[in-house]
Amino acid sequence: MLTPATIVIAILLLTAAAYRIGVRRSLSVAGGAQAIRVLHSRPPYYGVLTALWCALPALLVLALWQALAGGVITHLVKADLPPEMRALSPAQFSLVINDIKNIINGDVPPDRVSPAIQTAAEHYRRLQQISHLAAAAVVLSLAILGLALVRGRIHTGLRARNHVEQLVRWLLAACSTVAIFTTIGIVLSVLYEALRFFKAVPVLDFLFGLEWSPQMAIRADQVGSSGAFGAVPVLAGTVLISAIAMAVAVPIGLMAAIYMSEYAGKKFRAVAKPLMEILAGIPTVVYGFFAALVVAPFIRGIGQALGLDVSSESALAAGLVMGIMIIPFVSSLSDDMINAVPQSLRDGALGLGATRSETIKQVVLPAALPGIVGGVLLAVSRAIGETMIVVMAAGLTANMTLNPFKAVTTVTVQIVTLLVGDQEFDSPKTLAAFALGLLLFAITLGLNIIALKVVRKYKEQYE
Amino acid sequence: MSRSIDIVQRGLKRRYRAERRFQRLGLAAIVVSLIFLALLFASIVHRGHGALFQTHIQLNVFFDPQILTETDLNAADYSRLVKEALYAMFPAVSGRNEKRNLSGLVSSGAAYQLRDMVLGNRAIIGTHQEIWVPADDDVDMIYKGALARDSGRLSKDQLAWVDQLHSQKKIEKQFNTAFFRSGDSREPELAGIWGAACGSFFTLLVTLALAFPLGVATAVYLEEFAPKNSWTDLIEVNINNLAAVPSIVFGLLGLAVFLNAFGLPRSAPLVGGLVLALMTLPTIIIASRAALQSVPPSIRDAALGVGASRMQMILHHVLPLALPGMLTGTIIGMARALGETAPLLMIGMVAFIVDIPHGFTDPAAVLPVQIYLWADSPERAFVERTAAATLVLLLFLIAMNGAAVVLRKKFERRW
Amino acid sequence: MLKMVSMYTVSTLLLFALSTVPVQADAARDYISIVGSSTVYPFATVVAEQFGKTTSFKTPKIESTGTGGGFKLFCGGVGVEYPDITDASRPIKKSEGDMCAQNGVKEIVEVKIGYDGIVVANAKKAPQLQLSRKDLFLALAKQVPDPAGGEKLVANPYKIWKDVNPALPATKIEVLGPPPTSGTRDAFVELVMEHGAESYPWIKALKKSDEKQFKIISQALREDGAYIEAGENDNLIVQKLEANPSAMGIFGFSYLDQNGEKIQGAKVDGVVPTFEAIANGTYPVSRPLFFYVKKAHVGKIPGLAEYVKAFASDKAWGPEGYLADKGLIPMPDAERQKMAEAAVQMKPIAIGQLK
Repeated sequence: MLTPATIVIAILLLTAAAYRIGVRRSLSVAGGAQAIRVLHSRPPYYGVLTALWCALPALLVLALWQALAGGVITHLVKADLPPEMRALSPAQFSLVINDIKNIINGDVPPDRVSPAIQTAAEHYRRLQQISHLAAAAVVLSLAILGLALVRGRIHTGLRARNHVEQLVRWLLAACSTVAIFTTIGIVLSVLYEALRFFKAVPVLDFLFGLEWSPQMAIRADQVGSSGAFGAVPVLAGTVLISAIAMAVAVPIGLMAAIYMSEYAGKKFRAVAKPLMEILAGIPTVVYGFFAALVVAPFIRGIGQALGLDVSSESALAAGLVMGIMIIPFVSSLSDDMINAVPQSLRDGALGLGATRSETIKQVVLPAALPGIVGGVLLAVSRAIGETMIVVMAAGLTANMTLNPFKAVTTVTVQIVTLLVGDQEFDSPKTLAAFALGLLLFAITLGLNIIALKVVRKYKEQYE
Repeated sequence: MSRSIDIVQRGLKRRYRAERRFQRLGLAAIVVSLIFLALLFASIVHRGHGALFQTHIQLNVFFDPQILTETDLNAADYSRLVKEALYAMFPAVSGRNEKRNLSGLVSSGAAYQLRDMVLGNRAIIGTHQEIWVPADDDVDMIYKGALARDSGRLSKDQLAWVDQLHSQKKIEKQFNTAFFRSGDSREPELAGIWGAACGSFFTLLVTLALAFPLGVATAVYLEEFAPKNSWTDLIEVNINNLAAVPSIVFGLLGLAVFLNAFGLPRSAPLVGGLVLALMTLPTIIIASRAALQSVPPSIRDAALGVGASRMQMILHHVLPLALPGMLTGTIIGMARALGETAPLLMIGMVAFIVDIPHGFTDPAAVLPVQIYLWADSPERAFVERTAAATLVLLLFLIAMNGAAVVLRKKFERRW
Repeated sequence: MLKMVSMYTVSTLLLFALSTVPVQADAARDYISIVGSSTVYPFATVVAEQFGKTTSFKTPKIESTGTGGGFKLFCGGVGVEYPDITDASRPIKKSEGDMCAQNGVKEIVEVKIGYDGIVVANAKKAPQLQLSRKDLFLALAKQVPDPAGGEKLVANPYKIWKDVNPALPATKIEVLGPPPTSGTRDAFVELVMEHGAESYPWIKALKKSDEKQFKIISQALREDGAYIEAGENDNLIVQKLEANPSAMGIFGFSYLDQNGEKIQGAKVDGVVPTFEAIANGTYPVSRPLFFYVKKAHVGKIPGLAEYVKAFASDKAWGPEGYLADKGLIPMPDAERQKMAEAAVQMKPIAIGQLK
């Protein structure tokens, strides 16, 4: 059967053929493999150019076709349905279409639905086939057209390499915009609900309030005045836990990276590095359990033995375990960066009589610093955004404290509990999640701008 | 006379001590992290190994033609066959409550097993067959010793029956194939990891297919082509910032964009993969940029010097050298994507899905979601299954990392 | 390098080519989609699994989104992309009904499925507590009546249980319970805290004269560390209790039922939380569970009516049914019969009269 998949495969085959045709053609206009010097570019570039012109327009049109065909077919089928069905609201009608599609897919026995739907299904199926056929015809001829067009224009002066490079450059630039669109998407998807939240709770109260207690939320049957939505303690908790995590991850990760790249043998490194990377992949749920059931009682036990008042959900437990999780962010990335420092730098330092550790501290680390800072920043980011460990181990009580033995809460914990709770969605309780998300976004943005400035100042390039 | 050399000598001792200390510190750091890893693994294996085996009970089932009427074999009362077989083994049992307790020894999955047998081979109707069927989860737990006999989950009668079965060698632990072959279930003895594993596979395929090329392309563009101005600064800050966005917010984005605006189906690996790709992207970009920055300028100069175009210089010389670092970023990013639950909450992948997904748009759960859901289930037998599922996830991770590590080694070099 | 890039592109394209096959039929949904409360989730899933295995319909897909998130999705509109059923651990609220109606979801069928007991439990290693609801109120409320007497409130001064009631042991008050966003918390507050507050006549009088003040007194829980908001994962609470024998926990009955050898339920007003005591109403702390069906989808989504019928059968929710095995407390016979009839007839609720 003719499906979009087969069309794509056909395009790919055509593209492969186009590449060969382009190469052959370039060779033949040059007058044989011995004379390729007269060509502006090397033959593969002619091949790639032909292939790109064959594939890109065809794939684009196919994608467009796929996006639009469904709507058109539905519209046509709707025109043929009995009037009482046509009168249905769009939402109701989507259920009818669902019925039709289920029949086409064979998921529902046809005898379960009315004859009108059955004929509609038949109609739908026929239209779909026509659509596929037409798509195949249009798209494949477009591919062949592109192929023929480029092939005809291949001559010794065609600047194929420049064309290809220009195209690739545009593609690369297009890829880099994805990050921008993601950011816009995130802002937009939290902004609307956050604004609704700020209608109920003044922005200043939210930003500078020192108490977070969504338990007295503004609900129809509840009391409004004492609902406290001050974000400061929540942010303080995030900072505290992240700081503990970094205090674990940075020294351990950095020392591990230095040992792996500067001291350890090849074999040791080949084993240790992937093993440590496993730490980053253990599901955070598992870490959460580990933190809540092993580490937290352990810390509590020690604290009690020392006569300290340790909460059973201490920030220390969550921070420690989170630190372990992000070790590989520091160690693996730093290891790569240290490894990339040219050997000549080390040789120079060692030749002047420095010990290895001195070489590392004075020469290698400064050279690798921008990369290491990148890794550390990534680790900080991960610590701030981490969710499940803190949900399980850190608890929900918003204490305004820097004491690591107390229970604190983080922005992510609050977002998750607010979003998956049982409260109705338009109460400030739930909407606060969006406001918190927006706030965190703004704060990390500010921190990143500062970080960029700082990193750029200290960045050096060695050779 | 030799004062200065003395000072140097004394200094040397100190410096060598510092050197040894530094080296030991490095080794200690690795050892500490590996100990943690070992500890985690040990605790998971310790809790999860039990799930590799499942208690089965041998029944002599008579495929009674009077119960299995030919007209509708699908809907016949197979649980009655199981019950009759049990009653025949313990003829002394009488009374409604006792009988109910007795049939509670066997999993409700036994009936489905018989149904599949009959549908597969109708000739067995009318015959007696010795069949091993899974035991109920409480029986399983107590037989394995994971639950105390006096926990109150089984009555005195039931315990006595289990002992009797044991002395007759009609109850034993068998390798738990169901765990590796079936989808989710609310009966621990029937629950399996295969559905979630397939879901993870499809999801991560989408993630990898999108995030890796997009990440590398963005890094190459920003690092090699983009003019250094405030616009690219903005992009850079943006990317660093995205790395700090809590994963659940990416779920909100997925809900708003992919589900509501694009109309993609809920709970589908396609959407999960898209969301996780966006989440992984910053990690890959940052690592890739750092890797590109660390390629020595001499390589570039040499390539440009012999007449390569910028694109050729990058594609043929810089990129291969930067690839190990890029792969590291990809490994870490993908590992995170594999273990992530929170963003999937918003796009409907934290769900009870029994049927095994077969494509990118079938509803599916993923391994960490399965772990999360089982961890929250009241049944005790899910405790060991949760740990076993974690093990499966870790194997998945090791396989994935292994492939990338081999690739990374291929490209790694030092100059 | 060029080779690698092109290999990658080709394989990626192939991959998506293969994935476009199902996308073609994307909007077609041949399974029931259910969202909602994590409390109802363990019960709804059992029914779904039985339904999928014993009928020719596909197994319904059930998401655990929380009651509020469930209604948000459910009330999004009519059509395949919206769920057919939402589970709830509380009745639908007026604002949610309005949201539904606004988006064209005009007919909703409410089905009550049974009860869920809420227990206060601790580790077996510790002594079993005998609590009254007044004790719990005094131990957990943010503000309590001045122990020195008089009609005046003070910040909760109690540190150990013995302070609350001399009959109780001298252990620290440390209770792990659900966060404010949880339906379990709402139910606990309503059934225990309000009731406990009412044991003071002057507070009870407030209920009539100044309801706001009454709610402030009865609904606010301590935030000084005695009450620890411990998230929605009840298994985690059970394990934390085991690790910390002096702590108490508040969670659903089924977790107590499954972990009987590790933890014990405290007697509340003299009644031990057992299946029977909750079912016959002598144990005071239990709340109803519901699910809501979108009537417009009945007959359009394959199996929807059949699923509701399967849920509302005695085989499922009866006293001997398989849901009772999972810890759902069945409704009394008469109520169950009535509910089953209403469920099969699909009688919609009046959205305008919700509160």
